Amino acid sequence: MSESSPHLVVRGVSKRYGPTTVLDHIDLTIRRGELVTLLGPSGCGKTTLLRAIAGLAQPDAGKVELAGRDITNVPPHKRNVGVVFQSYALFPHLTVAGNVAFGLKVRGTAKREIDTAVERALSLVKLGHLASRRISALSGGQQQRVALARAIAVEPDVLLFDEALSALDRKLREEMQVELRRLLQDVNATAIFVTHDQDEALTMSDRVAVMNKGRIEQLAEPRELYLRPASLFALNFVGLSTRIHGTVLAASDGKVDVETKVGRLSALGNFQAGSPVIVAARPEQLRLGEQGEANSAAGRVRSVVFQGSRTLVEVDAGAGESLLAELSGRDGAIPRVHDEIRLSWPVTETFAFPMEALG
Amino acid sequence: MTEAALPAPVTAPAVDRERLTAIGFVLPSFVIIAGVFALPLVLLLGVSVVDANGLTFAHYKRLLGTPYYLGVIWNSLRLGLLTTLIAFLISYPAAFALARARGALRAILLATLFLPLAASVIVKAFAWTILLRSDGIVNETLIALGVIEDPIRMIFTETALIVGAVNIFLPFMILPIYAIVAQLDPRYAEAASTLGASPVVTFFHVILPLTLPGIIAGVALVFSLSVSAYVVPTLLIGEKYPTLATTIAKAYLLAREPGFGAAAGVVLLGIAIAVVALSARLSREPK
Repeated sequence: MSESSPHLVVRGVSKRYGPTTVLDHIDLTIRRGELVTLLGPSGCGKTTLLRAIAGLAQPDAGKVELAGRDITNVPPHKRNVGVVFQSYALFPHLTVAGNVAFGLKVRGTAKREIDTAVERALSLVKLGHLASRRISALSGGQQQRVALARAIAVEPDVLLFDEALSALDRKLREEMQVELRRLLQDVNATAIFVTHDQDEALTMSDRVAVMNKGRIEQLAEPRELYLRPASLFALNFVGLSTRIHGTVLAASDGKVDVETKVGRLSALGNFQAGSPVIVAARPEQLRLGEQGEANSAAGRVRSVVFQGSRTLVEVDAGAGESLLAELSGRDGAIPRVHDEIRLSWPVTETFAFPMEALG
Repeated sequence: MTEAALPAPVTAPAVDRERLTAIGFVLPSFVIIAGVFALPLVLLLGVSVVDANGLTFAHYKRLLGTPYYLGVIWNSLRLGLLTTLIAFLISYPAAFALARARGALRAILLATLFLPLAASVIVKAFAWTILLRSDGIVNETLIALGVIEDPIRMIFTETALIVGAVNIFLPFMILPIYAIVAQLDPRYAEAASTLGASPVVTFFHVILPLTLPGIIAGVALVFSLSVSAYVVPTLLIGEKYPTLATTIAKAYLLAREPGFGAAAGVVLLGIAIAVVALSARLSREPK
């Protein structure tokens, strides 16, 4: 099978629990060897989608195909998926090696093959020395690795991670993100991560699916997701932004002029004149002072937050609007609180979103 | 050096005070256990091996050397084993049903389980005699329905004994298993299934081992209760099924043989302790 052919295909999958629509006609295609994150707030349906792929939740409509096989009605134990749960769900009555061997044992693999596979899986997660330990004698980070080794040992067609790193403390989590990504790339695994942590999504994935209310709002590479958010929700959920309310005055081929309370601004977007919109820009696009054709707005500095390599400056632009600028030391003087300043940013990095999408 | 002016930490007396407090808390229950339980046990053991002429093992020889009394021991064991086995087979699925039930249904099921505990064993055993006797509700109903023509002999049979014992001791099997099942993370079964285990394999390799502590607690409770049951065999089967418990009562109340009764008590206690100890050992050993 070639690298680019579809490996996991989710087609029109819907799921309702009582009156609540948890998944609303989800379409998702993942290539072999791809690492994809389902990112969204709790209740957006990301875990249900993962469970539908694993066979732990039966969709009301739609199809799931894995490695060229329709698995929509296949029970979980015949799907050949690997799941790493948030709570790890390691079997407390088995040792580390016993947990890793479990999937192979129930498949009836020969003893010698099991031993080899367990050894390899444990060395992959650097836990070979703890094979005979009991699960209760392991730290959270070690348990996470055992859960990963157990899922990898059966060589599943797809690995599914349900908030698998969220139980770890921040420093360990950040280390594991990098290590896990490298490890999964080494074994050429196809994996789906479910998380509400945008940093985790941006660090670990080839593509990120931003989910909201049972739908995928945007499926894009992390860089594109950040630079070209497709919706106000995606913009808000990933990274920081300046957002200003306004009304479209004039529109021409993908660009709009917007009347706002902080002045006239230009943005990318397709709207009819008179439409209420929200104009947005990423904070690192905002610079001190005027620049020729760029958008600009003035105001009084409300707060200055120093964060090492960058400084976040929040400006009260009046009329309830505020500007958020991320200034690096290279930009020269950092303003102080109460300073009156003017900020400008390029039109090509300014986006207009429909107002009604807010919320 | 300001630190030098500080008084040296006085940890030792503090620890002693803590220990004294702990002893103080434990003392009342210790006195009760020692005075009301351990002391009579020692006396019982003494009475069973001492008679007017000094040390003797005659009572034990009679118990373990007479076919009749071996039959009595077997009766007790059989009552304990059958009751425990049947109670387990009923309780295990019941505990899962109870753990799955929600809201009002769960409350009702728990109430039906707990309420009978408030009634005395004698009341419940009598209730069974009323149900099972020749002109009892079960026979009358079967005759009215035309299933049988003449009443079936149900009371004073081993079936009646086991049915009654299972009914009376059932909560002691369901509750400990339920306590474990209710805490069982459903993710364990899900993890097993995604690893390729069919529901049957998942049950035997994951669910059963993980609920073993509850099973063992229930088995230890029900076995020690049923092996030593006195009221239940007396009322539901009577003379023709002598057990260690009824033999002890007879030795003390009718035959005036306290030495023999004490020896029978020690044997009964030995059987119960052996089963409970074995259970505890099984629950500690990882598979």
